Amino acid sequence: MDTWPLLGPLDWQHYVNKEVKVKAREQQQQHRGWLLTVDPVSASVVLLSFGEAGGASVRVVMGHADERTAELLRSAFLPRRSRSFGP
Amino acid sequence: SIPTSAASAADPARLQEEQRARSVLRESFLRCLLSMSNKRVQFHMYEKVKVEATFGASDIDVLNFQVSDLQTPIGVQKEALIRCQDVISYCFEV
Repeated sequence: MDTWPLLGPLDWQHYVNKEVKVKAREQQQQHRGWLLTVDPVSASVVLLSFGEAGGASVRVVMGHADERTAELLRSAFLPRRSRSFGP
Repeated sequence: SIPTSAASAADPARLQEEQRARSVLRESFLRCLLSMSNKRVQFHMYEKVKVEATFGASDIDVLNFQVSDLQTPIGVQKEALIRCQDVISYCFEV
């Protein structure tokens, strides 16, 4: 469950500038957006998403609340079991 | 704070690569925090608590956020510190 904070900078960097979905603890919906960066101190994920009207919003999911982060483009072509955390 | 992985500690080349990745990621995170100051930020916290506040600053190890005009269900708090362990996620418009 707590694997995201343990991945380390090299693995986090792989997700930078990719569209990802993040599931946070206690929250039903998944957050989708382009991954701006991951704070190496707190493992927080910074997502940028563009609204229909042209505005953009930034959502930061705290590392301790991150249950699952998966890359969308890759996960579309991968079998279900290996969808998360792939290098 | 998250320590260096065991594999990197043993291999100097990998350690250097990891430290570089760490600094790149950290710099853009700090720039993100900078861009958030003086903006209205929505905080989603445990137990389905949602509050809004004007973001001020964060400490270096992301343990507390300093905010102003925190709107809570029982009124507006002029100045407040939010403990980061209680926060699930937060968002703001750019």
